[in-house]
Amino acid sequence: MMNKILKIFLTFILTAFFATSTFAATKVVWWMESSADTDPTVQEMMCDAFNAEQDEVELECVFKEDINDTIRPALLSGSGPDMFDTPGASYIKIYQDAGLVKSMQEYADQYGWQDKLLGWAYNSGVFDGELYSIPKNYETMIYFYNKTLFEENGWSTPNTLEEVESLAAKIKAKGMNVYAYGSAGWQPTHEHLVGNYFNTYAGPENVYKALIGEKKWTDPEFVEAIELLRKHMVDEGYWSGDLETYYSLDWDDFNNEFATRGSAMLMIGTWGFNVTATNFGESSDDWDWNPLPILNSQAGSAPNYQLATGGTMSINASSKNADGAAKVIDWILSDKARALKVTGSLGYGAWLLPLKYTDADFDPNIDPRQKRFLTEFAEASDSGNYGYTTWTFYPNDPGVHIWKDMEVVWAGDITPLEFMEESQRLWDQARADDALVPVGKR
Amino acid sequence: MPKFLTSINAISWYFLFPVIFIHFFVVAFPSILSLLLCLTDWNGFGRINYVGLENFQELFRDRVFKKAVKHNIIWTVMFLTIPVIVALIIAYLLTGIKRGQLFYRLVYFFPYILASIVNCLIWRYIFHPRHGLGGWFENQGIDFLAKSPFAMKETALYAVAWVDMWHFWGFLVIIYLTGMYQVDDSLYEAADIEGATKFQKFRYITLPMIRPIFVLSLIIIIIWSVPTFDYVYILTMGGPAYSSEVVANHLYSQAFQRMNVGYASTIGVMMFFYVGIIVGFFAILRRMGWEV
Amino acid sequence: MATARFRQRSSYINHAILIFMALTIILPLLVLAFNSIKPSSEFGANPLGFPNEIRLMNYYDAWVNGNYTQIFMNSLTLVIGTLILNLTVSGLAAFSLAVLNPRGIQTIVVGLYLLVGISIPAQLFILPLFLMWKSLYLLDTRIGLVIIYSALNAPFATFLIRSYMLQLPTELFEAAKLDGASVMQLFTRVALPLSWPVFLTTALIVSLTVWNEFLFAITFIITDEYKPISSILFTFQSRFANDYGLVSAASILMAAPIAILFMFFQRRFIAGLTSGATKG
Repeated sequence: MMNKILKIFLTFILTAFFATSTFAATKVVWWMESSADTDPTVQEMMCDAFNAEQDEVELECVFKEDINDTIRPALLSGSGPDMFDTPGASYIKIYQDAGLVKSMQEYADQYGWQDKLLGWAYNSGVFDGELYSIPKNYETMIYFYNKTLFEENGWSTPNTLEEVESLAAKIKAKGMNVYAYGSAGWQPTHEHLVGNYFNTYAGPENVYKALIGEKKWTDPEFVEAIELLRKHMVDEGYWSGDLETYYSLDWDDFNNEFATRGSAMLMIGTWGFNVTATNFGESSDDWDWNPLPILNSQAGSAPNYQLATGGTMSINASSKNADGAAKVIDWILSDKARALKVTGSLGYGAWLLPLKYTDADFDPNIDPRQKRFLTEFAEASDSGNYGYTTWTFYPNDPGVHIWKDMEVVWAGDITPLEFMEESQRLWDQARADDALVPVGKR
Repeated sequence: MPKFLTSINAISWYFLFPVIFIHFFVVAFPSILSLLLCLTDWNGFGRINYVGLENFQELFRDRVFKKAVKHNIIWTVMFLTIPVIVALIIAYLLTGIKRGQLFYRLVYFFPYILASIVNCLIWRYIFHPRHGLGGWFENQGIDFLAKSPFAMKETALYAVAWVDMWHFWGFLVIIYLTGMYQVDDSLYEAADIEGATKFQKFRYITLPMIRPIFVLSLIIIIIWSVPTFDYVYILTMGGPAYSSEVVANHLYSQAFQRMNVGYASTIGVMMFFYVGIIVGFFAILRRMGWEV
Repeated sequence: MATARFRQRSSYINHAILIFMALTIILPLLVLAFNSIKPSSEFGANPLGFPNEIRLMNYYDAWVNGNYTQIFMNSLTLVIGTLILNLTVSGLAAFSLAVLNPRGIQTIVVGLYLLVGISIPAQLFILPLFLMWKSLYLLDTRIGLVIIYSALNAPFATFLIRSYMLQLPTELFEAAKLDGASVMQLFTRVALPLSWPVFLTTALIVSLTVWNEFLFAITFIITDEYKPISSILFTFQSRFANDYGLVSAASILMAAPIAILFMFFQRRFIAGLTSGATKG
């Protein structure tokens, strides 16, 4: 009885808000995640360029600082934009459940998007057999190192756990920190590290099995991975010297620290290419990068690239101009050279669309280190040799737990096993609630 | 018009109507709506399922919630002691000062008028390990404050409370000061003749005379401590490792990060009950003839 | 003579303590002020001191990038709107509780209701309120936010004004009643003119809370053109995370109007707050 009254009451209130869209017929409004550095370029090379090339659809790009906070109310109220960005699949899953995001399957079939996108990237937007989102950007975790510093000291880049630990001891003996990193300003930074240790210690195969439920997160390889991360963070202080400083440094702080020899390496996502190149441009040191070292033989062979989408684009379910929005998306996906040019002028840190690039698509002037990443990653991921980041493949609740409660392990309040037990419980819950996000076949 | 509609009693209700209406409309009604949600597992978007008291059972298992409650209690106790004592002393000292009083009052009160985000910005900078005091000491070659107190689990809660108290205690000074100025000077003069010390005057004249305003300040602190949120949210997000998590913060993260709107409402219900008990307690005290 | 010297010395100690406490407040504020005119290159070597090179462009940058003029007007609109609505409803209620029926059941019922109302955390009702506002077409409008702010500040304002009105001599009202004044006239002709100081105080404090509020501002205003200043500083912090000079300048720009107001009305402000607290 209570159930019924509640349902009627609340659904009544909810449905009352699905008002009609207020935008004119030919105009497509797109709310994008804002970043002061990239907004002008995106406006010029994407939005203005699109409007200049055709006159069927008028695209208006709106850059929002706080899009994750504002898009939810806007979608609920039915007055949102025609297109919008989200941080990833776990958000799409929630919007899809609530009927707030439009299925793009008919457009995908009509325009042949599946052939244009990398397989895993396309699959990351497929829910219940239909396409709901397309990644705007892909990224993976790597590490940068100060090449000059390494050459001066005769250090070689590490490939195994033993090599990592002995190198770390040498770096610390020089009075430097092993890795620069910090979570101030973005608390979920912890999950980058958790993902790295899952994939390079337990290995992508095991992570995949756990993601699809064929393996438990409480199995020893995961618990050991967390224990190793705890040891490296708390006991060894690999990141910025100690846990507390890691908590206190933000993006500018740790990038500066890396560029000024405060740390020898920077373990970060590929979004770090741009800032690293810029910062080192002002110093006499040179930099390079490598895929993450493999910490355990069960983790498979190098390179160990984890898949991640950095932001997705979707169409609002209540949009009156979905056809126009689909035209915008198709325009974006249809020209690889243009896509590379756009992301190139953004330092390949944003708008790196997961398209099937070939050598011919690249600008000859591209930084060889950058190009090495783009081609190697495409090769590895296409041949099925890849791992999984937590922020692209975890459903919402376990996804928050994995970074938020990692602090509790570091604080010593719970053991790695207790941590993974809670994770498993939340995964079971999410599986029972049908809240999982697509993983794709391995 | 019938008399009962024009009686002074009825008219006094008419005057009250606008404020009750607007407040009910904005606060009470949506709160009730939210309280209904505590019996569901709603995620803020989709289907609404009735789950009975499951959320409450979950609450008693919730390690973080227990921790948050403990922190709220510590928070309340801290605010009932440190700023109250400091403010009492300072206000008392101020009453004995002729020159510069306006200046002091202005300075002490000033942080209270600043937005929480501005205050947090100042202190986050000051406690930053690479900038601020830590950086300054490092430049002098001293290893002090090299770790931010906001980032250490032992100190995070106290560091956040420090910033909040830094902004709050001047408010108490002003309140106590006004209470103290209402004390009749002749009482102090009589005490002077009897040869009372400064402390005796404070203990036997000032304190009893300002009791109503003092008790009021305690009630204000207790009630304001329950939904405390801003400073924790801006400075530490409840971290590290929930070492500065408070109840309102836990509620917020359940509602907006984990999308457990139903569960978040359950936390809201608990807060609501707690405040109800406190308010009821003081109402009873008042009934028993306390001047509070 | 001896007592006088003793007094002298104890007064030095008093001043020493008072100055020390004042410094705990002034020094952090000075750091903010210094930072606001410091070029970003200087932060590493000189984290706390006065800048070697003064860079007022931080203010210009904050003003232009923050679109300060527009945002200032938005905040001002919210403040004025809230003052009009809030003082009206609170004034009427306070008059009823203090003058019309001070011993009635209303005092307890409404008093308790509003007291509980103050203590409900905003997170509890913000989502349902949002949905209600949408259905009433109040979402993303300044009037919608004005109504919310008025309601949120109503308990406080009512208590404060009531406590002042309780002090008004009842003979005045009796005399006016004998002259044939209606209840409404008692309010507008007697109570209001006598209690304007408390209205000024309330207005100052309500302005302060509205100016500084950001949770509701961010949630209920979606269109950028309507956003008030508090939400701008919030976004500034994330957008220019490490440009301390710029963020400090923006903070000072935000604090300046309210600080000036406070300096200007300081005596009145404190006098009103006093009577509010004692009789509350």
